[in-house]
Amino acid sequence: MLRVLDHLEEWLIAALMAAATVIIFVAVVHRYASSVAIPGVQDWLIKVNMSWAQELCIYMFVWMAKFGAAYGVRTGIHVGVDVLINRMKGRTRAGFVLFGLMAGALFTGIVGTLGATFVWEMAHTEQVSADLEMPMWIVYLAVPCGSYLMCFRFLQVAWQFFGTGELPHHDHGHVEGIEDMKSDDVIPVAVVPDLHPAEVLPKGSQEDGK
Amino acid sequence: MNATIIFILLITLMLTGMPISISLGLTVLSFLFFMTQVPIESVAMKLFTGIEKFEIMAIPFFILAGNFLTHGGVARRMIRFATSMVGHWHGGLGLAGVMACALFAAVSGSSPATVVAIGSILLPAMVKAGFPTRFGAGVITTSGALGILIPPSIVMVMYSVATNTSVGALFMAGVIPGIALASLLGATTWYRAWKNGYPRQPKAAWRERWTTFREAIWGLLLIVVVMGGIYSGIFTPTEAAAMSAVYAFFVAVFVYKDMTLAKVPKVLLDSASMSAMLLYIITNAVLFSFLITHENIPQAIAEFMVGGGLGVIGFLLMVNVLLLLAGNVMEPSSIVLIMAPILFPVAVKLGIDPVHFGILIVVNMEVGMCHPPVGLNLYVASGITKMGITELTVAVWPWLLTMLGFLMIVTYWPALSLWLPRTLGMIQ
Repeated sequence: MLRVLDHLEEWLIAALMAAATVIIFVAVVHRYASSVAIPGVQDWLIKVNMSWAQELCIYMFVWMAKFGAAYGVRTGIHVGVDVLINRMKGRTRAGFVLFGLMAGALFTGIVGTLGATFVWEMAHTEQVSADLEMPMWIVYLAVPCGSYLMCFRFLQVAWQFFGTGELPHHDHGHVEGIEDMKSDDVIPVAVVPDLHPAEVLPKGSQEDGK
Repeated sequence: MNATIIFILLITLMLTGMPISISLGLTVLSFLFFMTQVPIESVAMKLFTGIEKFEIMAIPFFILAGNFLTHGGVARRMIRFATSMVGHWHGGLGLAGVMACALFAAVSGSSPATVVAIGSILLPAMVKAGFPTRFGAGVITTSGALGILIPPSIVMVMYSVATNTSVGALFMAGVIPGIALASLLGATTWYRAWKNGYPRQPKAAWRERWTTFREAIWGLLLIVVVMGGIYSGIFTPTEAAAMSAVYAFFVAVFVYKDMTLAKVPKVLLDSASMSAMLLYIITNAVLFSFLITHENIPQAIAEFMVGGGLGVIGFLLMVNVLLLLAGNVMEPSSIVLIMAPILFPVAVKLGIDPVHFGILIVVNMEVGMCHPPVGLNLYVASGITKMGITELTVAVWPWLLTMLGFLMIVTYWPALSLWLPRTLGMIQ
């Protein structure tokens, strides 16, 4: 059950990212293609209205941001100031980490509730978006859903930390495809005799010449 | 008084190690709840509208574009090209490191990833050629930070979001300082290599330069797509970002073939979660800047500055010190989002150009990334070189000093950043 939720979350945000990129790409291509005079095609292109692309892209990214933030809690991507707590040990550190996670759960819980009330009120109005004419409450549904999911993720991570003492950690310096790369294949190193032999310091001497 | 409470609350919450976005949000909520009569519901509205701007959407697209090209294969091409161009000068591989870092960082958009990608390939080669490990580590750690100054830069988009400055003008303004800083880091490398007699590479033939250039150019064209597109008015910045993402996908999968189509969903997921993290900080930073504006904090600071006779020179010096201190504990995007709304109104009041102020902040962030004790680049470099932070601190200082000197130049010589966008007619 939980795994289904995990996959759904991952699938949703990746799909939104791809879809938004494609939509903007198509909109730009359409804008320029419809100004090229090809008989028949041009009339058809001009008839296709792409003005909604920008708005749809924004809403897609709002949804992606809310659910992606929840996914980010699970993978530990949210950056914090860890200078102080990294100097702490054992129970004190655990206490602070748990406090942080619970504060996250509290904040997202409050926001989720505020959002739910807001969406509930909006659902009783006739507000629609400017270009797509989509009911606004559906657009804003991302806030309560995403926030409650995020709240759940904070509690989940806190529970995990309480049990195992482990936190999810995101590696900001990860790069694909360098594990299998030998530096010899990239640049064959050949040392040429230096042109100023007098300035070559003896081996093992200080690099710092100042 | 209220300002003091807000900042003490924020700093305390941050120091507990909770995510920056959460501490911003909680500060706002608790302050409004306990100290004012402002209904909390009005905050809810801000949470919805915080990121509903098309300009902000450039961030996810730039991250996606960068992630497609953050690959060892791209790093390898950049290193080869750089080595064939500058490898025969003094400290050849070190100079090539500076150049490769600048190119890779501009394309990938991530400083830590640049340090890892270029460092893991180039450092072993440098050690083998006879360079001390310290020298290589110093070059790569500092040059890796060049990416946020050379466009496309996500930190600049953040600044433009926080202050309503034109992204295009900021990108253009970053070009000359970016090249200048890369040259200065290169000059430092050259000087130390020349003084200590470090080895050179054999001079590459023009044919080889051409081959390596042709390999590297596909990645570098990304910068051309973005800058050319924005400057000529073909795209808006956000559209340019989307186009660059599509271009990067095309290059990674079909031209370089570093990536199989099966890997694309993983890149999408990683980019989405990275963007979501940044967008979440933006949402909460918007909330926070609503609070400080509501409490009239920027005006109070501005009046204090102007009234206290602290002129432009004093203010800019103070900004630099403040940002360098902040750079010690936070990553660039958060600093810009928190500090820009506070400092920007003061800067405007003192007659400082918004674009110049942005470039100053960006250069500052760059220094902060390699600044001991806790620059992110230092940590990443310590991981790949197996050197301690203290040893690395000693290793980076010649380059760090160069960067600090450059920061002073950027701060007090606005023309360096403003000349290009002005000449191109992007700002008055």
